[in-house]
Amino acid sequence: MKQEQSPSRVLEAYTGEYASGKSENAVNRAVELARQGRRVTLVDLDLVEPCYTLRPLKKILGEEGVSVLAWDTGELVGLGETGNILKPEVQFCLRHPGDVILDIGYGASGVQVLNLVEGAAEERDLKVYAVINIARPMTAAVTDIVEHVRSLKRVDGLINNSHLGEETDLGFVQEGARVVKEAAVVLGLPVVATSVMEQLAAAVGETDWYGHPVRRLHRYLPQAFW
Amino acid sequence: MGEKPIKGEQKAFMTGNEAVAWAALAAGAEIMYGYPITPQNEIMQYWTRLAPKYDKKFLQTEDELSAGFTTVGGVLAGRRAFTATAGPGNVLMQEPMSMAEAMRIPTVVVVQQRGGPSTATVIYSQQEVTLTCFGGNGEGLRVVYSTSSHQELFDYTIKAFNTAWKYRFPTFVLADGYQAKMRESLVLYDPQEKGQKMVPTEAFVGKPGTPGEDRAPAHLRNTYNIEEELMDVLSKDIKEYEEMTPEIIEYEEFNTEDTDLLVIAHGIVFRSAAMAARELAEEGLKVGYFRPITLRPFPREELRKAAAKAKQLLVVESSYGQLLKIVKDNLYGMDVPIKTHLRPGVGITPEEVVADVKTILGEEE
Repeated sequence: MKQEQSPSRVLEAYTGEYASGKSENAVNRAVELARQGRRVTLVDLDLVEPCYTLRPLKKILGEEGVSVLAWDTGELVGLGETGNILKPEVQFCLRHPGDVILDIGYGASGVQVLNLVEGAAEERDLKVYAVINIARPMTAAVTDIVEHVRSLKRVDGLINNSHLGEETDLGFVQEGARVVKEAAVVLGLPVVATSVMEQLAAAVGETDWYGHPVRRLHRYLPQAFW
Repeated sequence: MGEKPIKGEQKAFMTGNEAVAWAALAAGAEIMYGYPITPQNEIMQYWTRLAPKYDKKFLQTEDELSAGFTTVGGVLAGRRAFTATAGPGNVLMQEPMSMAEAMRIPTVVVVQQRGGPSTATVIYSQQEVTLTCFGGNGEGLRVVYSTSSHQELFDYTIKAFNTAWKYRFPTFVLADGYQAKMRESLVLYDPQEKGQKMVPTEAFVGKPGTPGEDRAPAHLRNTYNIEEELMDVLSKDIKEYEEMTPEIIEYEEFNTEDTDLLVIAHGIVFRSAAMAARELAEEGLKVGYFRPITLRPFPREELRKAAAKAKQLLVVESSYGQLLKIVKDNLYGMDVPIKTHLRPGVGITPEEVVADVKTILGEEE
């Protein structure tokens, strides 16, 4: 796969519709950077369901050289659905040296959760990427995606993550790339990448049908499912 | 009216909760009443996101007692109404659903089981089987569909509206936290485009004309003065329930002829049981499965027929014997031995079922 040009310090936040693949894309990006020998911190900013996302992956990601900022099971009290406490380190995550990848949860506040991160508003190198899967009915068509991305307020680029789980075929990924590209034109935003599950990525090549870089996705999240 | 929510067949990738919200839309539901509880929250969340676009309504009530009673009220007014809940919310839901049973109100309730008793976990279990089938201070005159995939959540949520409105018994779709949150693909469709006829709704109260002259009075009761009066009404309801039973029971079975071991499971655990049974059958073992889809009413004769051809049974479930109790009740008088794998509040994998079966069949040799 062609490696995307990486600035001296990569600061990226992944957001998008519920179950759009934000966490999977954030995790894969962190691993990709770590494998290049970079120092990477992956931050769990999902305050809606923080128990269900990155926590179970901490060990595997640690072995890949990614440092994960997320609560451990033993550190949490039984607040259940009533609320969650921001891990203090997360508030200052942008002060960690090296690359910082943020996994932003869905929910009413969405990207606004960045308000809780020190320096996020001022940090010009921080890019917020919206992950889009056209198999999600709320982001199936160009007009839906435009409306959705505008509702997120702060977005610097789109990632086409169109798939149907194990039933994904190349035609579907291509259709996603086409729709996301059209939406990006309306929004005046770049398409940063097309993410493709690793079984299919080789067949697409280094760039997709429209010249967007291809990111190869390994599925980590099924292991994080509760 | 707003635009049509689903045109043609649409492949989608989503959580089970979203599948329920889309199914309710596809079934023509007009209003959802609800109170938040994990793991069903995204049913409400997606319904409220979709509602304005398709001219639908939503009311968040102060608790599940109220969500249940307002659902009953919506149905009385002729609205295609539904609610969804889980765990302790399902406990509270039993009082309004008992009233729906008493008054034969076609309510639709989707239950995403979580761990119990009490608040327990927000995650998963199959511990709401007894509650959903027999909760309330009555005889359990209700219909309970137990789903095992997102496609089934979609299909059976649509079907639940038809069953409820055709037979006028409260109808439940029983899933769980895993199905609620898990992501998989399914096909969304408009049932009417596929030729499925949707049973129309009608108001129970406020009908035109003079009661007793133009039409029978809408005399809906959940209270009686004397014992015999109640028993007359219940006897009629029970008779109708039993007459309806053969029309609506559903089940699935595999390899039930001459079986050394018949695995019995429902819901998400059925998926593990089915994978295990098929794998073992391919290895040449005489292993089959029986899966009740309707837990209430139960496919009694069908299970007895399969059990009669099996040397022994294995009941597998994420509760400490709630399906087992129903199975035993329905097999009364038969002497087929029953083994169990009962794990309250925790999921069961296909590998674990394979290991169980091998241990049991190994012991026989």
